Amino acid sequence: MAKVLEGPGMGLMKKWGINVPNYVVVTSVDELSRLGQANEWLKKSKLVAKAHEALGSRFKLGLVKIDLDFKAAEAATKEMIGRQVGSITVTQVIVSEMIPHKEEYYCAVKSTREGSEILVANCGGIEVESNWERVKRLCLEIGQSPSPESLEKLSKEAGFSGTLLKKMAEFAGKMFACFDSEDAQYLEVNPVVLRAADEELVALDAVTLLDGDAKFRHPDWNFAFAAEFGRAYSKQELEVMAVDSKIKGSVKFIEIPGGDTAMLPAGGGASVYYSDAVVARGGKLANYAEYSGDPPDWAVEVLTEKVCSLPGIRNIIVGGAIANFTDVKKTFGGIINGFRKAKSEGKLKSVKIWVRRGGPREKEGLDAMRALKEEGFDINVFDRNTPLTDIVDKALQAK
Amino acid sequence: MSILANKDTRVVIQGGQAGVNAARRMAEFCYLIKRPLNVEAFVYPPDAGKSNEIPYGSGLIAIPVYKSIAEATKHHPTLNTSLVYIGADRAMKGGMEALDDSHIKVVSMITEGVPEKDAKILGAHARKLGKVFNGPSSIGIISAGACRLGVIGGAFDNLVLSKLYREGSFGVITKSGGLSNEIIWICSQFADGITTAIGIGGDAYPGTDYVSYLEMFENDPQTKAVVIVGEMGGDLEERAAEWYGAKKRRVKLIAVVSGFCQESLPKGMKFGHAGAKEGMKGEGSARSKSDALKKAGALVPPTFGALGPAIKETYQDLLKSGQVKEPVEPATLPRLPKTVEEAMKADEVMVSPLIRTTISDDRGDEPCYDGYPASELINKGYEIPHVIGLLWDKRLISKQEAEIIKRIMMLSADHGPCVSGAYATILAACAGIGLSQSVAAGMIMIGPRFGGAVTDAGRFFKHAVDNKMSVDEFLVYMKKNHGPVPGIGHRVKSLRNPDKRVKELVGYVKSLHIKTPCLDFALEVEKITSVKKDNLILNVDGTMAAVLVDIGFPVDSLNGFFILSRTIGLIGHWVDQKRQDSRLIRLFDYLVNYAAPKRREVPPLK
Repeated sequence: MAKVLEGPGMGLMKKWGINVPNYVVVTSVDELSRLGQANEWLKKSKLVAKAHEALGSRFKLGLVKIDLDFKAAEAATKEMIGRQVGSITVTQVIVSEMIPHKEEYYCAVKSTREGSEILVANCGGIEVESNWERVKRLCLEIGQSPSPESLEKLSKEAGFSGTLLKKMAEFAGKMFACFDSEDAQYLEVNPVVLRAADEELVALDAVTLLDGDAKFRHPDWNFAFAAEFGRAYSKQELEVMAVDSKIKGSVKFIEIPGGDTAMLPAGGGASVYYSDAVVARGGKLANYAEYSGDPPDWAVEVLTEKVCSLPGIRNIIVGGAIANFTDVKKTFGGIINGFRKAKSEGKLKSVKIWVRRGGPREKEGLDAMRALKEEGFDINVFDRNTPLTDIVDKALQAK
Repeated sequence: MSILANKDTRVVIQGGQAGVNAARRMAEFCYLIKRPLNVEAFVYPPDAGKSNEIPYGSGLIAIPVYKSIAEATKHHPTLNTSLVYIGADRAMKGGMEALDDSHIKVVSMITEGVPEKDAKILGAHARKLGKVFNGPSSIGIISAGACRLGVIGGAFDNLVLSKLYREGSFGVITKSGGLSNEIIWICSQFADGITTAIGIGGDAYPGTDYVSYLEMFENDPQTKAVVIVGEMGGDLEERAAEWYGAKKRRVKLIAVVSGFCQESLPKGMKFGHAGAKEGMKGEGSARSKSDALKKAGALVPPTFGALGPAIKETYQDLLKSGQVKEPVEPATLPRLPKTVEEAMKADEVMVSPLIRTTISDDRGDEPCYDGYPASELINKGYEIPHVIGLLWDKRLISKQEAEIIKRIMMLSADHGPCVSGAYATILAACAGIGLSQSVAAGMIMIGPRFGGAVTDAGRFFKHAVDNKMSVDEFLVYMKKNHGPVPGIGHRVKSLRNPDKRVKELVGYVKSLHIKTPCLDFALEVEKITSVKKDNLILNVDGTMAAVLVDIGFPVDSLNGFFILSRTIGLIGHWVDQKRQDSRLIRLFDYLVNYAAPKRREVPPLK
């Protein structure tokens, strides 16, 4: 899943005929001022300025300002750009027109196993969250498009009537077209508002999740995907992602500040069991990591360097199930190089390393790990006869 | 018995190298269970018409490659299963092609990163046709003792360790490829092993889910219990729980679910597989899944580590109730023939080497010349002449010697277009011949009359010096035994028109105040011969030869100095002609003395 920020998200909706407020995304107040010359609406309308970053609770942080005139929007932009929130520096601000409205509604399309589901409610904003039973659904099978009749029926079920019933049905139809054509996984507009000026439905705020795997058939996706957990990716994470995009197989790395147990396990399945075992033992994870699909040794080496650089770690869990085709000797070679490099840089002092693995060339790989003992590493190596997550138990029991 | 994959399964693999690798693994399994290879065809348009060689035991089996599934099934009507190893952008088209062929009943896709929409379309299409679409991102399917589809089961040793050569009583369904192997291993250690293990893939919407296969296992009398390995996200585990709880089931269900750590992690953090994403309001969480499975009556060990004992307990119950019997292990199992490298590593065979080298070795991360790593030579200031010294005479020459070699090379790099070598290269270049052949054409000219006298000159001067001959004795010896002295005489240069290259080289070497017995002798020879005839001077070949012998190079290497240096010039001439786009040349008639007989009548054939 790939989250898309508001700007590009609204761009996609506009492409499929959904009304969105006028908006601009700027990286400096000068840029906004320049755009103000060319875009009359910026001078005429009341405006909203928001930090255009993958940040949660922007309201609380003062990174959303409403009911602004152009001068105030410039001031807000100036204030927001460059602001540091945790690991994120605000680099973009989205300035959009405020849409005077009375009523708020809700519309979303989500992916289901069978196909998708269109959700409509005749309330919106916070109201819909506390009145979830008012959301009505239309289930669609994959390959099926909603008929105008079925959309009108949905709109009616949700409590719309008259011209609004037709408008909401049309709006939901466009949402589906956008969802289906853009390989979206989730599309939510909350609220949908009735613009006072022309009585048209407008998407005021949107959540857009796209299927990153479908990027190959969307050459117009010229935007970066945003991190999904309320903060930007760190430099180390981005470096691993850059490696990941270049290789056969994959390497993944997410930092969790404050933890003391570092993870360097193999496989998308086993890695989560290892994380579970750490948490179940009362340990604190310092990161999530994974390498899988027989990645090249240099990629595993990069991942290892990042893991070894995590601050305050006491154990590193080099776990893994019995691989099908990942070459244990080769991937361990990358890990060993990473360990040696870290050690030569003065890292890994009083860090215990725990290894468990099986798979092609497991003996050679495990022997190479064991040999690290002679180089002064505090390393404990186990083979397939030790159950998968027992090394976590041993690591967290050891004093 | 088993499900999905059995002794009648006949496979076509769609894809290139990854598919070939899978076929190799499958052949290892077929060899272990003493059955013929179950892969009959590949579909890979770029290689259509060729065949892929798959090792089976100690032999190789050629498996044909076709352009399309239709072509493959036409030639192999028993095909019933397709494995898809095509890239994510073309995977759906390939999967549809297989599903739409009436012969194919099961399609399993290993491709990762397939768009969700494509996976859903494939799954729905298969359901409509009453076929099985397994995956995407599936590691494969394996039925113990019967059939392997894909690389599931891992290396040959693991197949044996996990007792996959004979049937057990446990079915396995996992999302994760690595964990499928782990569970197979656990089942073989804590119980009697597996019937069939299926990787359904870790995507959010796999084509077939736990329930599809639970139903099949329920109908397979050999399978007594099923182990499922779940993950947070989606609702596949809840559906499995619902299926299990719906009525009394014959098979026992053992399940573990991962993702409890999410409760103490930053919200929205993405894990492992695409399908492992956080559910809304607790739904789809590891805890809710695990609770649902427990409620439905499944055995749900609290951690992955407790899975082995749980499987053991189930197996003991099955033994006690007489539902299963202790398995009988076969007395002997086929052993995978080792490659020569593996056997040598294990000290099992000795091979007498075909060639022997004493100069270089590039088996490490860089070439070593006579033991010295190339990069270290560079970093410590050594140059090309030192590499020549190492590779031609196996010694690190001095700075001074290197300087002499450098000068020899600079002086002999080229001698204009008219000499035999350059002329031949130019002629070839003008005929449109490529670089290496054109340079080779010039190289062919190097011999007794052009450039190739260095070795002989060195040999004879050395012979004279070693035997303390006087110049007169030497000239008599040469005349009697060999003819003209190599290294003496020049086509155009003479005493009055001396060869400046010789003067330069002799002058430099003399300035070094080193012992040069051969050079001194050669100069003495020149004094006598040049009196006899003006152009019988010490030529550049002879000078080089004498100097090189004096600094210790073996006689047999001496021509190499001319060949190496002149190659620089020959390459230059080829590039020069190429740059000018020169046209084909031929001799003018007036440059030929036609001394052949005049035109005459051919007599009748007798």
